[in-house]
Amino acid sequence: MALLEVKKLGISFGGLRAVDEFSIKIEKGELYGLIGPNGAGKTTVFNLLTGVYKPTDGSITLDGEDITGRNTIQINKAGIARTFQNIRLFHNLSVIDNVKVGLHNHYKYSSGTGVFRLPKFFKTEKEMNKKALELLSVFDLDKEAYLPASGLPYGKQRKLEIARALATQPKLLLLDEPAAGMNPNETAELMNTIRSVRDNFDMTVLLIEHDMSLVSGICERLSVLNFGQLLCEGKTSEVLSNPEVIKAYLGD
Amino acid sequence: MKKKLNPQTRKSFITYGLLLIVFIAVEILLKTGSISSMLQGLLVPICVYSILAVSLNLTVGILGELSLGQAGFMCVGAYASAIFSNLVKDSITQPVLRFTLAIFIGGIVAAIFGILIGIPVLRLRGDYLAIVTLAFGEIIKNVFAALYIGYDSAGLHISLKSQGDLGLKPDGKMIINGALGIGGTPNDSTFEIAFVILFISVIIIYNFIHSRTGRAVMSIRDNRIAAESVGLNITKYKLITFALTAFLAGVAGVLYSHNFYSLQASKFDYNLSILVLVFVVLGGIGNIRGSIIAAAVLTLLPELLRSINNYRMLFYAVILIVMMICTSNETIRTFFIRNFQKLKGLIIKNKSGSETVKEAE
Ligand SMILES: Nc1ncnc2c1ncn2[C@@H]1O[C@H](COP(=O)(O)OP(=O)(O)O)[C@@H](O)[C@H]1O
Ligand SMILES: [Mg+2]
Repeated sequence: MALLEVKKLGISFGGLRAVDEFSIKIEKGELYGLIGPNGAGKTTVFNLLTGVYKPTDGSITLDGEDITGRNTIQINKAGIARTFQNIRLFHNLSVIDNVKVGLHNHYKYSSGTGVFRLPKFFKTEKEMNKKALELLSVFDLDKEAYLPASGLPYGKQRKLEIARALATQPKLLLLDEPAAGMNPNETAELMNTIRSVRDNFDMTVLLIEHDMSLVSGICERLSVLNFGQLLCEGKTSEVLSNPEVIKAYLGD
Repeated sequence: MKKKLNPQTRKSFITYGLLLIVFIAVEILLKTGSISSMLQGLLVPICVYSILAVSLNLTVGILGELSLGQAGFMCVGAYASAIFSNLVKDSITQPVLRFTLAIFIGGIVAAIFGILIGIPVLRLRGDYLAIVTLAFGEIIKNVFAALYIGYDSAGLHISLKSQGDLGLKPDGKMIINGALGIGGTPNDSTFEIAFVILFISVIIIYNFIHSRTGRAVMSIRDNRIAAESVGLNITKYKLITFALTAFLAGVAGVLYSHNFYSLQASKFDYNLSILVLVFVVLGGIGNIRGSIIAAAVLTLLPELLRSINNYRMLFYAVILIVMMICTSNETIRTFFIRNFQKLKGLIIKNKSGSETVKEAE
């Protein structure tokens, strides 16, 4: 059984059919790429998968569970976490607190316990700090843990977003242009990080990316989106040499 | 060995320390009789305004929603507790017990109103809370101003028309007398009690902010969409925060109503809500300590400036504007902070190894 199975997903904005009959099947543990020209509807697919938009057609199944029509919060709890194309951090919070917000639903104590500083508060906070620092060290961010998130350089902000998403302990991780704005060195480093996340966390990753070196370097399979529709899908090398794909990218 | 405190904890402990120092200083001045009766009369109101300001800062600075209803919640708390105290003042003669109960009643009734308003409004995106709380404050004030409640051997009588309309028997007593309000509330508020309540409120707020719930609330403020994406129940956390704000405003109302012999609804008008918002903005949005300082300074100022009577309001206005520029303008604020740090560096020259304490509230 596939981890994620999407069937004939669709949504319109006014007259614009932003995504139409989009289907995808991702196996557990895969590193899957979603590519396509600007405005093709890739981010919209992520927004549909995470419940930001409600699909007008189609169905989404995660790990055998039908999650079509659920809201963002329910979908995160069901096991999908994401990053955003334009970084969305909690910029006034410290780096570690950003991750601790990600841990929120897995380490619990009541508001009263927090206000009255009951023993459970100290115990849980200690566990959270430990877990958060562990996650941050995967992304080489543990030294910046107590700086405000807004003070991080761009590349590290993108990494922090991934760390925060992972903190919610998802089954599927969606990355929206994780290498955007990074230099080639940073991109190469990010590729290693994504690979190690997949290996160490047993994660399934679906990523949107424009950087072809990253896509061909780490994605095992690809789907290509063009004008909201699936153009083709398959093994990375095959898809990238498909004349239709090249034409879509170069334009005509 | 130097004890390492995290910056947030350190910040709250500095506030606690400052509050205690001020308290001790005021107590000494009171004991030696060096405070004019005019200023003495301001001590409880300063605590009341400070509680109103720090609790509003929770909604404005930490949650990031605008509320203009502090006076309304205060009014609800003041009336609920004053009614209670008047009803039981003959049966519960222990003032500490009576006042403790009054405080909880005032706070809880206000929190219930907060939740009733919050449930429909906090779901919406946009500045609806400001509009609804503004309306709430005005409605509450006018309802209480038109309310007549009395009791006699036959029980409780309520009317919205007049005292006569109640039809009280000769043995009856008025509790709320329309626009004349409530009289005869036991004067259980003292500066010491008010200070303790302020202190507890500040502890509650700091602990709230620096807990799992507070982090969730601030993450919603910083980026709602991202907060949803990590599975946070937005409405729940907004509601908890707003209810706590209302609770503390209600408690401030209890202190207020038990500080005066009579209580009129007209005191809790729109201007009071705006004044509290001014304290919050001037003290720095999200800055708890600043809210207390602003509330205290701006309450004392008109009295301290009394000697230059004619120019009093002019000075008041100038100080307001200067404070506002200093706290809200990023450039000027960093200018002050930088120079302040330089100054600190000059004074404590031998102390090396400075840590960067960032605004983390
Ligand atoms: N909320 C929205 N309202 C209207 N149009 C939208 C909305 N979101 C996306 N679109 C449109 O849908 C199309 C696909 O956008 P998007 O998914 O962001 O593309 P990309 O593949 O570059 O991520 C674009 O034409 C965009 O303008
Ligand atoms: Mg996009």
